[in-house]
Amino acid sequence: MMDLRVPAGSFFVLLGLILVGMGILTPGEPAALTDANVNLYCGLPMLVFGGFLLLLAWRAARRTSQ
Amino acid sequence: MKLAAIDYVILSLYFAFVLGIGWMLRKKISTSGDFLTSGHSVPVWITSLAFLAANLGAQELVGMSGNGAKYGIMTAHFYWVGAVPAMIFVGIFMMPFYYGSRARSVPEYLKLRFDEKTRGLNALSFAGMTIFSSGISMYALGLLLKLVLGWSFTTSVLCSAAIVLAYTFLGGLTSAIYNEVLQFFLIVFGFTPLSVMAVMKAGGWSGVASRLPQVMTHSWKYIAHTNENPMGIEIFGLVAGLGFVMSFGYWCTDFLVIQRAMAANSMSASRRTPVIAALPKMMMPFIVIIPGIAALALSKMAVGYALPMKNGGPDYDQVLTTLMGQFYPAGMLGVGLTGLMASFMSGMAGNVTAFNTVFTYDIYQTYIRPGAPDHHYLTVGRITTLAGVALSICTAYLAQSYNSINDLLQLVFSFVNAPLFGTFLLGMFWKRATGHGAFFGLLSGTCAAALTHGLTVAEGKGGWLGQVHEFPSTMAQNFWIAIMAWTVCFVMTIAVSLASAPRPERELVGLVYGLTPLKHDEGVSWYKRPVPLAIVIGLLALILNFWFA
Repeated sequence: MMDLRVPAGSFFVLLGLILVGMGILTPGEPAALTDANVNLYCGLPMLVFGGFLLLLAWRAARRTSQ
Repeated sequence: MKLAAIDYVILSLYFAFVLGIGWMLRKKISTSGDFLTSGHSVPVWITSLAFLAANLGAQELVGMSGNGAKYGIMTAHFYWVGAVPAMIFVGIFMMPFYYGSRARSVPEYLKLRFDEKTRGLNALSFAGMTIFSSGISMYALGLLLKLVLGWSFTTSVLCSAAIVLAYTFLGGLTSAIYNEVLQFFLIVFGFTPLSVMAVMKAGGWSGVASRLPQVMTHSWKYIAHTNENPMGIEIFGLVAGLGFVMSFGYWCTDFLVIQRAMAANSMSASRRTPVIAALPKMMMPFIVIIPGIAALALSKMAVGYALPMKNGGPDYDQVLTTLMGQFYPAGMLGVGLTGLMASFMSGMAGNVTAFNTVFTYDIYQTYIRPGAPDHHYLTVGRITTLAGVALSICTAYLAQSYNSINDLLQLVFSFVNAPLFGTFLLGMFWKRATGHGAFFGLLSGTCAAALTHGLTVAEGKGGWLGQVHEFPSTMAQNFWIAIMAWTVCFVMTIAVSLASAPRPERELVGLVYGLTPLKHDEGVSWYKRPVPLAIVIGLLALILNFWFA
């Protein structure tokens, strides 16, 4: 069975990178009710979560191959 | 709502992953069991999240945030009363029989426990309901895409159908389950920030509470009588109707969710599946209901937010999308929209995979062509996927052209679903219950539901046989229809069972409580054992109820 953590982790790492990139490159992206850098603050947790899933998948794969 | 190029990039990225997962899984499918039941091999964290996510349709996201703005925190009863207790119950008390009997579907359990006619009745009504549910998901998605992206109804329906078909056709149930998990994460990451920002903007939870009537921020305080709260319900109808019959009827008997727990890789894992799922379930109000309540508070402040309107009244179904549009810049807007689309599509996929299994095993293999080699049923399973999606498209158009058909269908579902829990409760815990009892109990329960609806009126609905009683709201009416249906089914099943010949006990081993040896899993940490886990999660739900009382 394919480890779901690999595609799910990769998806959130990519999504996080896009959002963090947007947050850094265009911090003033307009939203009517907030001045916060929404993309940056929402992208960072996705990046961390995606990385965490990939880490778990990598550890599991290493354990089974030993 | 204007989407930027980056939002389309995010949407396409998601579709690429969904299709990619289906493509990667296609090689693992070699038997009908792999395709239709995932071969009992899915890890417990995945089955748990899928158990939750299969039920977390986009209608729920959109509808519950709208209800938050309309009824306030009382909407959370649908989670803390109407879901968590039933999820814990099905895990602890019912999964041992579902999983232990090795039935491949809920109707097949009925065949093993009762008889052929009870299975047939359940299989046919379930197959019909799944097709209509998936069609209604498709219809709702069509409306959303038309509104947000400006696509035509036909384009959005055909597009989403094609994607769902592709990944369920390739990877079967496993593919649907994997995508449900992905969708769940997307919803958590896509909508939690919205909830946090909306509440912060309104001055925190105390700021929200100070701007709204007390009844909007208390879930239990105004429930002694129907005229105290905007839902028009009182405590007995709520606890017995929603908390007992409706929620147990859904979570304990609906094959759509049970199928996820049956796919788990061990008995212990299948019992823990609904229990673990109850934890994120009880947190969902913070993501889906609180934004609606905050939106109502914001609309009473001078920040430039107004509730969306339609025909002179608030359009509660648009609350979530307008909040997204006001708080999210290009980028996060794409993520939020992808989350919504993902939940519509996994709603369809969940129904299609459940339909598949029930049609192939309970209708085709039973009545049309028994005894064929397994690869034949795998082919039938795949063709059924195709047919299921095609039928869903038809029902989506049906729902589009006859608006009232949705109401009618919801009504029929409630007639059929409400008595089911009575049948299962007696089937699993009373060895004397017989096939005739179950069949006639179910039939009479369904008739009792229809009769209650025909004789009572609420908000102009029902009363097609005359008017005996008037309910203050359709919600209260639904709760009482469920109570009547369950009671009649329960009593009739007992009466007919006692009048018919009992089945020998040796035939019921593994199917009924008391005749089934339950394995105790000592020596494993508490969080890997179903019962201690259930106690902890049950206590948490109790705390939440008191917190927002």
